[in-house]
Amino acid sequence: MLDKKEQKKNDIIECSLELFASKGFYNTTIPDIAKALKMSVGNMYNYFKSKDMLAKEIIKFISIYLGKELKKINEQDISTEEKTRKIVEIYFKIALARPEMIDYFLRIYLSNREVFKDGCEGMICVNEFVTEIMIYFEEGVAVGDLRDQDFFSAFGLFMGYLGGMVFLKGEDILPKALDEYITDISYNIYKALSV
Amino acid sequence: MIKLIEKIEGEAKLHFSFKDKKIDFVDIEFLQTRSIEKILEGKNAFDALVINPRVCGICGHAHLIATVQALEDCYEDLKVSNKAKIIRELTLNFELIQNHFKWFYFTVLPLFGYKQAVIKAAYPSQLMSKAIAVIGGQYPHNSYAVVGGVVSDITHTDLIKVEQFIDETHKFFEENLIKIDGKDIIECENIDELFNKQGDLSQILNDIIKNDWEHLGKSYDRFIAFGENSYFTKGKSLKTRRFTNITIDDIEEFSSLNSYAKNVTFKDKYFEVGPLSRAILNKNPLIKDSHNKYEDSLVSRIVARVYEIPQLLKHSKELISQINLDEPSYIKPKISISKITSSGSSAVEAARGSLIHKVNLENGIIKKYDIITPTQWNLSNGTRANQGISQKAMIGLSDEKIAEIVFKSFDVCSVCTTH
Amino acid sequence: MKKKVKVLWITGLACNGNTHSFLNYPNLEQFLDNFEFIYHPILESKYTLEDIVSFTIDCDVLLIEGSLSPEIEKADKKLFSIINDYSKVVSKIITVGTCATFGGIFRDSEYENISGLHFDETLEVDTFRKIKNKTISISGCPIHPELLVNTLYAIKNEIALKLDEYLRPKEYFAYTIHNGCTRNEYFEYKVDNHQFGKKEGCMFYDHGCQAPFTHGSCNKILWNEVNSKTRAGQPCMGCTEPTFPKSNLYKTKKNMGIPANLPLGIAKRTYLTLAGVTKAFKINRLEKDIFDD
Repeated sequence: MLDKKEQKKNDIIECSLELFASKGFYNTTIPDIAKALKMSVGNMYNYFKSKDMLAKEIIKFISIYLGKELKKINEQDISTEEKTRKIVEIYFKIALARPEMIDYFLRIYLSNREVFKDGCEGMICVNEFVTEIMIYFEEGVAVGDLRDQDFFSAFGLFMGYLGGMVFLKGEDILPKALDEYITDISYNIYKALSV
Repeated sequence: MIKLIEKIEGEAKLHFSFKDKKIDFVDIEFLQTRSIEKILEGKNAFDALVINPRVCGICGHAHLIATVQALEDCYEDLKVSNKAKIIRELTLNFELIQNHFKWFYFTVLPLFGYKQAVIKAAYPSQLMSKAIAVIGGQYPHNSYAVVGGVVSDITHTDLIKVEQFIDETHKFFEENLIKIDGKDIIECENIDELFNKQGDLSQILNDIIKNDWEHLGKSYDRFIAFGENSYFTKGKSLKTRRFTNITIDDIEEFSSLNSYAKNVTFKDKYFEVGPLSRAILNKNPLIKDSHNKYEDSLVSRIVARVYEIPQLLKHSKELISQINLDEPSYIKPKISISKITSSGSSAVEAARGSLIHKVNLENGIIKKYDIITPTQWNLSNGTRANQGISQKAMIGLSDEKIAEIVFKSFDVCSVCTTH
Repeated sequence: MKKKVKVLWITGLACNGNTHSFLNYPNLEQFLDNFEFIYHPILESKYTLEDIVSFTIDCDVLLIEGSLSPEIEKADKKLFSIINDYSKVVSKIITVGTCATFGGIFRDSEYENISGLHFDETLEVDTFRKIKNKTISISGCPIHPELLVNTLYAIKNEIALKLDEYLRPKEYFAYTIHNGCTRNEYFEYKVDNHQFGKKEGCMFYDHGCQAPFTHGSCNKILWNEVNSKTRAGQPCMGCTEPTFPKSNLYKTKKNMGIPANLPLGIAKRTYLTLAGVTKAFKINRLEKDIFDD
């Protein structure tokens, strides 16, 4: 159980995500978020010193969330092929249930690097998420299912593909529901990465 | 009668047959083999740099240098900096020196009835081991020479430290082995100058004369050396005629009956390798004089081996002065080893003589590896009709105790021979 | 008159590297004042090899060097028989070196059933099961002389050293070769652009250094009192471990860029999280040559 301060922080994060998704990152201000939560602006600053700090905390929050889900998959005693499918499944599931999270990652984190450059150097703010992807890859190679290759080539293929599909969904271009693409996408990814 | 010879980096059995109270033949039997050449088959080429020093605990470093040079010989147009070449030669010198001290104080003294001088053997060996370790990390058993150079990035103060070990070893040599008033032994050109002086070498030489042994241990007076570097010359010598144009292609290695060690010939003849051979090929004045007076007897062999110590110490200092630290230690080969299908060979002067390595690679994997060690040359187990070097040296002697002295004057390394 | 501890040093399939490493012990004279070799491969002893195998001579400690096989003979007597005889009279047995402990490099020689005294790589060997409780393993290729000598002194002074699962004294083998390497900072901050011939850089990432997961004290007690392999720029080859030698030794096995063997006891997630964090930062001092301005 989170303590009250941690719970309040999470509430702020959840609320911010929704506002960023609907109004846009730059259009949303700290007073906007405070108002939506019925908090005073001064009190908001007790939790997050600035919008940039909030932005960084949010990406870490998302990374931890995704990381936790991926860890559950990594720890299952299933084949690499099945893990691949489950990763695609969970990613799309979150994209549907918590679109503001994936939306944040794609439209805000990746597109506004200047906001994140101090304190989120490299991939440190998405560490939990990236670590789980690394473990999926490393174990896949170790058991002989995945081809040994440069980490980033494989990472780009996997994440770029998933991110691209979610982006297309967001633009309303995909004719079918996201989960109808899971089988083909998992198959493509596994075929591309396997030995 | 069969005599078990011990403490020759392992053991060997000498089967003596006597006729008219003299030795008329000796069969040399080595008792084990570790099949290292087989162990290497199928291994990655660079793994040989780690495995081959373990052929031998006292001359493993020579095996390392021979390995890296044989592997480098598999490449076309591979560059190794002068700095790396000099560094490799330095550490090899230090190993040779350590061997000679150990041989004299562990092996030779007891042959003349003295107790082993353990500290006199260990102390300078430790200094030389430290000199190697400053550069190569540790001694024994390092693999600091790699294809393309050396892994070490030594500094000026590293070399200063190494020079101190050299100087200390030189001082120890003078204080214990031989001291000649007013001059460095290096300047001596007359073998008689070495007798009746202060020092353990002089003592042994005097004992040899006292026992009338100065003409014992003569063999064919045929010498050969393949490991050319900045100090040693390649070539063969028959009596006093020298030929420098020799190739390892004329070397033949073949099994001998009753022994795990293989015999080695050059153009079907047995040749002696080692410090005496090297000194003769270098036309060293002191050894030339010894050879004139005592030919290839016990005296020349013992003096040549001990005399290499101050020579190599001096030469090492010269080498150090030639090192340009600004050069790279390592130049990465342009082609990856996994693309190399080729063969290569090398020859290096180890303490006891020429050491030859031959390797066949297929896509960077060892298909075949051959090692010919110096003791195989000197202790080839020939027949009555065609005797090996040490056999000939022992035949005609009156008892097995003298024979053991002659045998050990070749500085036998049983482990090398039974790789 | 001080009573010297009597030691027998006997060799199987070996290169004698341990013998020569032992001779590099700095205070040999003092050692020989306290210990007497009834037989040694190089040092003079009261008995010859033939004496040692013909009679079971009074002895306190048995040292075994080299890989073992039931086929090996010393002076025409089976080595196993010699070991059996002496193990009954000695108070302690020490396997000197990786060959005698685990089989080592010569495990693949052509004799029957080659192994260490109690271990064949990581598997237990039953042949000498009864003397396992008397044995101490000093692995290493070769051993560090101080480890052997100090263990002998511990035996002399009847100090019971704590041993690990391979009977190696924890005082030396609980550490990893990584402890004390001068290149540690490059490891800590994941500066992984090492090239051979440079004093900078850590060799764990690309050049096959096994130090973070190899037991021993090489960087704690230096070699020859001056240096160590990794300090000099050579990757640790894992020579104290049962698996020595592995293959493709100068290269780090990686799975999708991630080292297949991680530092001892460190969980994969922990390592990757730390690696992820440190790789994000560039530390200028560690990116350039140490002597540069």
